[in-house]
Amino acid sequence: MHSNDPDIPLLHLDRLGISYGGPGVSERLSILEDINLTVHEGEFVTIMGSSGAGKSTLLNLIAQTLSPSSGRIIFRGNVVAGAGMPQDPGCDRQIGYVTQDDNLLPWQTVWENLLFPLSLAGRPNTADIDRARRLLDQVGLSDWGGHYPHQLSGGMRKRASLARTLVYNPPVVLMDEPFGALDAETRAQLQEDLLKLWEAERKTILFVTHDINEAIALGDRVIVLSGSPGRVALELQIDIARPRSPELIFKAPGFAGNYDAIRAQLRGEPQ
Amino acid sequence: MKKVWVDRALLLIALIVVWEGVSRIAGTYWVSSPWLVTTKIWVLLGNGDLWFHARFTIAEAVSGFVLGAVPGCLVAMLLRTRPLLESAVEGIAAVGYAVPKTALVPLFILWFGVGPAAKVALVASAIFFIVFYSTLRGVKSIDPRLVQSTRVMGANEWQVLRRVVWPAVVPYVFGGLRVAVPYAIAGAIVGEIISSNRGLGYLAQYGAMDFDTTLVFASLLTVMVIVLSISGAVALVQRRLLRWQSVGRQSAISVVGA
Repeated sequence: MHSNDPDIPLLHLDRLGISYGGPGVSERLSILEDINLTVHEGEFVTIMGSSGAGKSTLLNLIAQTLSPSSGRIIFRGNVVAGAGMPQDPGCDRQIGYVTQDDNLLPWQTVWENLLFPLSLAGRPNTADIDRARRLLDQVGLSDWGGHYPHQLSGGMRKRASLARTLVYNPPVVLMDEPFGALDAETRAQLQEDLLKLWEAERKTILFVTHDINEAIALGDRVIVLSGSPGRVALELQIDIARPRSPELIFKAPGFAGNYDAIRAQLRGEPQ
Repeated sequence: MKKVWVDRALLLIALIVVWEGVSRIAGTYWVSSPWLVTTKIWVLLGNGDLWFHARFTIAEAVSGFVLGAVPGCLVAMLLRTRPLLESAVEGIAAVGYAVPKTALVPLFILWFGVGPAAKVALVASAIFFIVFYSTLRGVKSIDPRLVQSTRVMGANEWQVLRRVVWPAVVPYVFGGLRVAVPYAIAGAIVGEIISSNRGLGYLAQYGAMDFDTTLVFASLLTVMVIVLSISGAVALVQRRLLRWQSVGRQSAISVVGA
């Protein structure tokens, strides 16, 4: 059941939709409609879309912090969420979520924050603690474990937040514009580090961004949501060879074509 | 830091000098004098009278404080996940908060007699609302995203309450507790003045009826010392629990600014 059978996709969204508002059909505001998406183990999918297209809502549905009004979410062949089903945020620790805000607990040090998700499942064992220490090192914060979040810069908090999500080893990691508020240099460094971590940890990542360069530099595939209600308007395979350099991605062959296709879709131009 | 203490000491000395001056001009009959009061306290300490009365006041204040603060805090915390009930309780609590608690004393005496229980009830009724409202403000200020992200990490309701809600609410609880300390002592004293034959409130009342202003001032000074000690103890616990707020604020600025 929990096999890594390549025939069964890791995550499958089946005609997923969500609407808010009153009980009558005319009173409801539809945010997302008829979203079909298949994500395979180890894939890096970037999600784009004009503002209001429901990018964050889509991640919230997958993280199960929101409940869909229609459709189902199938994880490793099992229906884990659907209209009328009880919510299970994080899908029993199978789905990690790095939100726009770092959401670190302000009263705990970086190290305590890192151990926090582990401690929710009982006392962390030595292997857990070793893993936490290694991750702290990989995100470049080994010297900052004893500091509180308010003592860190924005980029460092993002790193801590990323390490905290990876530490309990969820197979799927959702990221909602995690680097949006950072300066260009910090951002490029974090993108590079994220790619390294992704390759080392073999995670499946769904990454929302509003930056076309970032979407192409990171993703195996770019999904563009558009319209109101939002639907999948474009699915684009990115065939740029890895390892990639996010900062110099615009020099890669094939970049220009991908860029134009995504930009045209975001602007609503016919292709 | 040292400078503040010097200033405070100077101000205190100035006040004592003014008091001494007034008592020399107007006579010690109305305002007693620092020296008379000090001697009186010394005598009362020596014969055990001061401790006899003070311990009743302290016991009433502390029991009322605990009996009011713990439920006040718990009720506010439990309302977190029940918004409908919360608005209902808030409406009724506003009435309870508005009622002057001293007006309830006759009722408390009817119910609990003239002993310490009535004073404890008076203190608890005042403290409950103070702590309830401050905790509720803390509960409302909790960042829902923090709770949400903790849920995604697999936390159950109890873990959310224990590891996110409680630490987030602590600063507000202690804000309320520190405001509540003087009210607790005041409640006990007022209760004793109205009807009692022991406690510092009774002692002050007795002194006033006897035109013994020195005794009144001696009682008041003792009350002040008690309030300051309890406030100090609460502040100490607060600083312990909230150490994270102040740790490295300086270095934070230098790191972020770099």
